[in-house]
Amino acid sequence: MSEGQLTTDAKPWADPNATPFLQIKNITKKFGAFVAVENVSLDIYKGEIFCLLGGSGCGKSTLLRMLAGFETPTSGQIIVDGQDQAGIPPYARPTNMMFQSYALFPHMTVEKNIAYGLKRDGLPKNEIATRVTEMLSLVQMDQFAARKPHQLSGGQRQRVALARALVKKPKLLMLDEPLGALDKKLREETQFELIKIQESLGVTFVVVTHDQEEAMTLSSRIGVMTAGEIIQTGTPHEIYEYPQSRFVADFIGSVNMFEGRVIEDGKDHVVISSKELGGDIYVPHGISGVEGQKMAVAVRPEKVRISRTDLGEMRNKVSGTIDEIAYMGNSSVFQVRLDSGKRVRVSQSNLTRDDDDALRWDDKVWVGWADDAGVVVAS
Amino acid sequence: MQGKSRFLKITAFLGFAFLYAPIISLVIFSFNESKLVTVWGGFSTKWYAELFRDPQILEAAWVSAKIAFVSATLAVTVGTVASFVLIRFSKFRAKSLLSMMITAPLVMPEVIIGLSLLLLFVAMEGLIGWPGSRGVLTIIIAHATFGAAYAAVVIQSRLVDMDLSIEEAAQDLGAKPVRVFFDVTLPVIAPALVSAWLLAFTLSLDDLVVASFVSGPGASTLPMVIFSKVRLGVSPDVNALATIIIGLVSLGIIVTALHMNRSKRNL
Ligand SMILES: Nc1ncnc2c1ncn2[C@@H]1O[C@H](COP(=O)(O)OP(=O)(O)OP(=O)(O)O)[C@@H](O)[C@H]1O
Ligand SMILES: [Mg+2]
Repeated sequence: MSEGQLTTDAKPWADPNATPFLQIKNITKKFGAFVAVENVSLDIYKGEIFCLLGGSGCGKSTLLRMLAGFETPTSGQIIVDGQDQAGIPPYARPTNMMFQSYALFPHMTVEKNIAYGLKRDGLPKNEIATRVTEMLSLVQMDQFAARKPHQLSGGQRQRVALARALVKKPKLLMLDEPLGALDKKLREETQFELIKIQESLGVTFVVVTHDQEEAMTLSSRIGVMTAGEIIQTGTPHEIYEYPQSRFVADFIGSVNMFEGRVIEDGKDHVVISSKELGGDIYVPHGISGVEGQKMAVAVRPEKVRISRTDLGEMRNKVSGTIDEIAYMGNSSVFQVRLDSGKRVRVSQSNLTRDDDDALRWDDKVWVGWADDAGVVVAS
Repeated sequence: MQGKSRFLKITAFLGFAFLYAPIISLVIFSFNESKLVTVWGGFSTKWYAELFRDPQILEAAWVSAKIAFVSATLAVTVGTVASFVLIRFSKFRAKSLLSMMITAPLVMPEVIIGLSLLLLFVAMEGLIGWPGSRGVLTIIIAHATFGAAYAAVVIQSRLVDMDLSIEEAAQDLGAKPVRVFFDVTLPVIAPALVSAWLLAFTLSLDDLVVASFVSGPGASTLPMVIFSKVRLGVSPDVNALATIIIGLVSLGIIVTALHMNRSKRNL
């Protein structure tokens, strides 16, 4: 999954001298007593595609609406391109937004919908026409230009909404669930288009999604949100391979989680004894723990090896029985019941078309993973 | 099951007959040759011709149309403003009070509306000398008053249904609030405005009671003229007039219904 990265390798966020294009400083939004967004701080750099990823109701839309100017933050500051946005009405902000509900103008044709923002900017007629045509073909809606929104399917409406937001080529473009209603093929195409637009125009994107795969492929960085807070920010690779909390590890991809206590705190390693696993887990570096401290180790299914024979040198290994096999085409997912009773998910690429020696239900197997395959997360 | 459905059909038929028999007989008798309203004397359109030669009727029809047009327009304007205040402004104290007050004329007996408006006009004339005399102007004001109540109800229901995010989208694309109102809000609620206007127009054309209270010597609306004519005995030309009005009203209802249907599909 982390291989799907499409964006360029520049890492402005790692450069201490770079000035962020969008600065969100300690933003909080309360609706009455309910805190929808809590003390969020973010720096987003020019040309990034930043994904806000989180479950339903975690405050993603509310955060975007504050950036667009539709909600006033209860406290905190938003700075775009060095300019404090407080008190600037939505129509004067250098941002555009694609609404989660699409918000197409029901009385205007597709063409008029897309042209509306350009008209407000007072562009000459022929330029409006060219840019609208360009956008229509980009989202593959040319033959629907004269239709009204109520004559379109959900996915088509979404494309019109996307085109309407893109056509103004704003400095900062916010997309609320931009591709949710599209089928897989069109979604992938549109993802590529978004990245192309980002590269050619240097538009900075903030994209809200609850589809982790989309966040992975699309974004330069991801901010994982839950209950109004951003709990981790990082590149897709960092988020996937180095989750800092159980929630993030669980939310992005699937993961096997083993809880245990530190029994040995060596110079370059820690050993965690896990009752759940029915064995010890050897973690080489990067953490330090006090003996007796509770910890959890997260291991991705594709990093777990599975074999009928003993896994030899491997330090982290236990035996179990195959409970279930799910054939997914490109890979197979095994549910292994360990001797301790815990179930472990293992995924394996299907390298050959037919494997006579394939693992079967109820096979006795060994599962194990390399020393550095597991990540220790706050428990 | 069979018996029940037949019973329903018969009841429905009787109900419709009860509602429409008088109207149908009125239409038929408007083409009656005879001067006696209850005796059929052969087909003729002479009462229609007579009608169009009656200056009093023509004058009254013109007055009524003028009043209905102006008062409906006023009613829709006031109703729109009131609806916006009630639906869009979330925080103000007198909101539920205002909401009740704007709908009060819907349930208030007409006699009371008429009487209270009359008293108001008389008092105002005494205090500020306006409106100087009662007539077309006072009827317009009176009709606009209760028409606005009906208009507000119609417009409010549309405003409640309206998706606020399309206004936000327009703002986001660079339209200032006034622009947003004319580019987005108004077109979206336009069908409701048209329905409200037609409703207020019809109510104004219809009204006898309130108009009788607030009218002065110079101004007689069509319903007032018909009423006074009928008091002197029913003459067939009144039938003809009623038939024309029924025709116009039916046309209006059909147009409104078609219009509402279309715009509902457009939503
Ligand atoms: N105007 C409002 N008044 C009160 N509560 C609100 C309001 N708008 C949003 N909320 C609440 O704030 C929380 C966050 O809402 P938000 O729309 O930001 O969620 P979201 O992360 O976009 O979810 P989804 O993925 O379902 O779109 C929700 O619990 C919601 O009920
Ligand atoms: Mg949302």
